[in-house]
Amino acid sequence: MAHILSTFEEALRDLRNNALMMASLTERNLENARKGLFERDEDWSNTVIADDEEVDTLEVQVDREGIDIMLKYHPLASDMRNVIATMKFSVNLERIADQAVNIARRSRKLMARPAVPETAELEPLYSFATKMLKDAIQGFADNDLELARGLKDRDRTLDDMNRAYAEKVTDRMPNDPSAIPTYMDLIFMARFLERVGDQAKNIGEDTIYAISAEETRHQSRPIV
Amino acid sequence: MTPTLPQPRADFLKVQDFNFYYGKKQALFNVNMEIPERQVTAFIGPSGCGKSTLLRNFNRMNELIDGVRHEGQILLNGRSIYDKKIEVIALRRSIGMVFQKSNPFPKSIYENIVYSMRIAGINGKSVLDETVERSLKGAALWDEVKDRLNESALGLSGGQMQRLCIARAIANRPEVLLMDEPCSALDPIATAKVEDLIHTLKKEFTIVIVTHNMQQATRCSDRTAFFYLGKLIEFDDTQKIFSNPSQKQTEDYITGRFG
Repeated sequence: MAHILSTFEEALRDLRNNALMMASLTERNLENARKGLFERDEDWSNTVIADDEEVDTLEVQVDREGIDIMLKYHPLASDMRNVIATMKFSVNLERIADQAVNIARRSRKLMARPAVPETAELEPLYSFATKMLKDAIQGFADNDLELARGLKDRDRTLDDMNRAYAEKVTDRMPNDPSAIPTYMDLIFMARFLERVGDQAKNIGEDTIYAISAEETRHQSRPIV
Repeated sequence: MTPTLPQPRADFLKVQDFNFYYGKKQALFNVNMEIPERQVTAFIGPSGCGKSTLLRNFNRMNELIDGVRHEGQILLNGRSIYDKKIEVIALRRSIGMVFQKSNPFPKSIYENIVYSMRIAGINGKSVLDETVERSLKGAALWDEVKDRLNESALGLSGGQMQRLCIARAIANRPEVLLMDEPCSALDPIATAKVEDLIHTLKKEFTIVIVTHNMQQATRCSDRTAFFYLGKLIEFDDTQKIFSNPSQKQTEDYITGRFG
């Protein structure tokens, strides 16, 4: 059932659409950062750095629109939870976009040095993190409680993958001390991807709150 | 040693299987609720939902209308308000009421407060003076009017008049204070003063407030009851009602999807 006040209905719709647009741009930037890293193509990395401004602009806009809705319409119940979740969604997306920029900047440094096989070993982490982001966005867009709930466990898996990768790369350092700067960069890359997983998990928690008012942050089981 | 108040009752004002009729028209349908002591309970709902009707039943004001009847019970502190041993005038002192449009008597500020005492035959100056000061302080009006107590109450501003009506109600040391949209005719500053006063008054009185302003209900009340077409749809902690109501009808009303 739509709101009686049509301007309220439109404002909520515009807020959501802008947040989803921001999600699209963030996914694109993370994908472009991937190309820059694995294809050693500076153009892709440069594109990511330049395009970050669009995401930042949208974050400010979503924030402003959210506050405007709070001031004008005093949303309650599910409306209030949705507005707050959307504003937090945009904050998490902006942080993910920042990780894409971090990956792009480090990729440019990597490209200046000889390639190492360990770079390709980042691929599974990258795919995992990218899929988490995609599903976090889908969960938010479709109000999919199950998809949102699944992100917590997947984040733990990504944390384990990051830890295992960092240990593996660290163990290889004595074998090739000249590649240590590259190895350090790769460990940072894995950490950036681990952070993408954290933000995707946060998006899941905020989606759960928006749909069902359940608080699932910082606990092992949900408290209603 | 300051005497501590006894533990507040969760069912201080209790409504049991309550039905109410204006002639043939049924206005309230099988209402059951327990209003806790020394808390603020808000009644919300669209026009005609029965919230003011129920409020006016608490002090039996509806009996002033011809052709009304009720079924079921209303109990105050465990005792039926319809008990034949209860004198209805005394009940209305014990359950004070403040209305949407403030209605000070065309008398002085002082005489407004002491009117019911004079009618009860209490005329001792020190008792009356003490009551006036206590009540006006209790209604956060004393400082504004203490030097003009003998001036007409009709010379006060709208917000001051409403606080005078609250003072008049609490002069009788009621157990319950009923407020029927007490701020709807007031400007924002006067509204804020009355809301601030409600926050203080609830330490001493049980308050039931009917309001159309949902933000006011969230600010002022501890518990909120949502009524629709004469039925109590949902009654819960205010925080729950306005953040995550259990009933879809409640959600639809408070989010403005109703109708």
